[in-house]
Amino acid sequence: MIAPNTIVILVGITALGICCGLVGALMLLRRRALLSDALAHATLPGVCIAFLLSGSRSTLTLGFGALVSALIGAVLVSRLPRFTRVRRDSATACILGIMFGAGIALSGIIQRSGPGAAAAGLDGLLLGRTAGMLRSEAMVLVCAAIVMSLLIFVLRKELLLSCFDPLFGRCSGQATGALDLLQTSLLAATVVLALPAVGVVLTAALVVIPPAAARFWTDRFDPLLRISAFIGASSGITGTIVSSSYPDLPAGPVIVLAATGFFTFSLLAAPKRGMIARKLRWSSRKRQREVRRILHTLLVACEGDQYSLSADQILAGSVSASPRALNRAIREGFVAKEAERLQLTPVGKKRALRARKSQQIWREWLTSEAAIDRDLIDLDEEEIEKLLPAELVRSLERSIDLREAIR
Amino acid sequence: MIQPAVEIHDLTVAYREKPVLWDIDAVIPEGSLSAIVGPNGAGKSTLLSAILGTIQPASGWLKIFDKPIEDSDEIIGFVPQRESVDWDFPVEVLDVVMMGTYQRLGWFRRPGKAQHDWAMECLDAVGMADLYRRQIGELSGGQQQRVFIARALAQDARIFLMDEPFAGVDAATEDAIRRVLEDLKKRGRTVILVHHDLHTIEHFFDHVLLLNLRLVASGPTDEIFTRENLLRTYGGRLTLLDEAAEAVRRIRTGTGGGGS
Repeated sequence: MIAPNTIVILVGITALGICCGLVGALMLLRRRALLSDALAHATLPGVCIAFLLSGSRSTLTLGFGALVSALIGAVLVSRLPRFTRVRRDSATACILGIMFGAGIALSGIIQRSGPGAAAAGLDGLLLGRTAGMLRSEAMVLVCAAIVMSLLIFVLRKELLLSCFDPLFGRCSGQATGALDLLQTSLLAATVVLALPAVGVVLTAALVVIPPAAARFWTDRFDPLLRISAFIGASSGITGTIVSSSYPDLPAGPVIVLAATGFFTFSLLAAPKRGMIARKLRWSSRKRQREVRRILHTLLVACEGDQYSLSADQILAGSVSASPRALNRAIREGFVAKEAERLQLTPVGKKRALRARKSQQIWREWLTSEAAIDRDLIDLDEEEIEKLLPAELVRSLERSIDLREAIR
Repeated sequence: MIQPAVEIHDLTVAYREKPVLWDIDAVIPEGSLSAIVGPNGAGKSTLLSAILGTIQPASGWLKIFDKPIEDSDEIIGFVPQRESVDWDFPVEVLDVVMMGTYQRLGWFRRPGKAQHDWAMECLDAVGMADLYRRQIGELSGGQQQRVFIARALAQDARIFLMDEPFAGVDAATEDAIRRVLEDLKKRGRTVILVHHDLHTIEHFFDHVLLLNLRLVASGPTDEIFTRENLLRTYGGRLTLLDEAAEAVRRIRTGTGGGGS
């Protein structure tokens, strides 16, 4: 059912997805994601010049031209900010525009001078021709994926340090320049390899989207690389299969759409950083806060002479708690409800006392400690002992007791 | 005489023809705890970079343990400013501390059990051993600073440079850093740090460099850390600073008295 040619394409595109995912993850961590777009566009003049000089349309010749021109683009992007007042983002955008413009102009010249067939080969580079992938091209992609994976495995610690803290890397004797060059070359090579498959315009998407999606799933370095490579490969496979099942559906854009699908799914559904999880966490904390407020109101009433309060006193007026929070408090056994009267259960009372205590300690800490580390403050956290040293908590408790004794 | 750890001679550093350090001559003795003090933009961090060898001086030379800095392969423990990295980076505490061991490992070799244990020991020294698996973004500012200190300890150097390690940290972190510094001093290591809080200098540091573009003075704290020298370093600004510090002290003692 699957044509042999499709298998070749699938293997090649999987390897390409892995390359893009790996190198993209490194670029994401170095905050150089846009560089991939600039380099992809910078390949075009190289391809045109290579064609004009040699007159050949072989992948090797054009690819060589593309690589040289991408590297020239990379050098310009990194040198411009150092020797002029142009900032790095402007430099990236400038090079992208200038080189792409030059490329389009050159391809115009080619189109006018030569026969139409010659220009057709260059046309394919703009949007890519996945379906035309040859066995030899697939082999090159597989080799590239293997070499890149090995390099990243062997140089794991060097790459980690140069991405995280290049200054420290330089101070601790790292050859920062060589590592920069290596990573830029990997990117340039990946971009050139991706050109025939997805084209100049969409290559950057395949480098940028997988790591961005992977970032939602992990907070660690190695898993980020692995997940990014996985998403890159999966996008390639999905896109190829979908596009081959419909006539006239170009693979490049579908691959990018598949990657976008993975990104959207990650954005929504990732367990910790995803939007749904965040939203759920947020509303659960909010409800907990509401429950605590209800318990506190009942506790105060209890400490007065009111044994119970009517539901209206909780749901309306100055307390105006949400009915859902009240239901939750009842469900969790903190509050008992009898004939529209609410009262604290023994468990609920204990809970309310604990919440009050932790709030007191927090307040005491905020007012007494001169040097406050803002990130440590979490007023919702009841188990304050987890966040502050035990000794400090004890001394805070002592000072609360002292103050109450005076009162 | 004690051997100098760092020797700076006629050092001038310029960014785009504008000098940021001008004609610095100083000697930092081995085993000393030295503070580089000066107003904002005085070139304090630049001086650290020069000692680290990450910037090229426009003129002059530096020696570390009697070797010109270009030929020196001395390992220098370094604590950069906390803001210099992205704390959302997907990496765990222990991984960051292990970075301190990379230099001794050299290319390609992966850190093994020895490096792992050593990094844990360094984390323990700053009271962070429990948090070794945390993603660094989940730490508080002070804890992040302590991770950087632990990483520098993991470098196991003879000389340490720290760029404002006390800036914006909580009390627990301040204590931890102090303990580390005292311990390093006891072990005869040289520590140079950029420091802001003028009040703690006299009690804690045995050597100061007063810097404001040029070197105002350098030497043992009790000789150099005088009001006159400070005025020359800060220009007219010290009086303002004095007043502010005085006001803060009044407020603190005021609330302290009322609280108990």
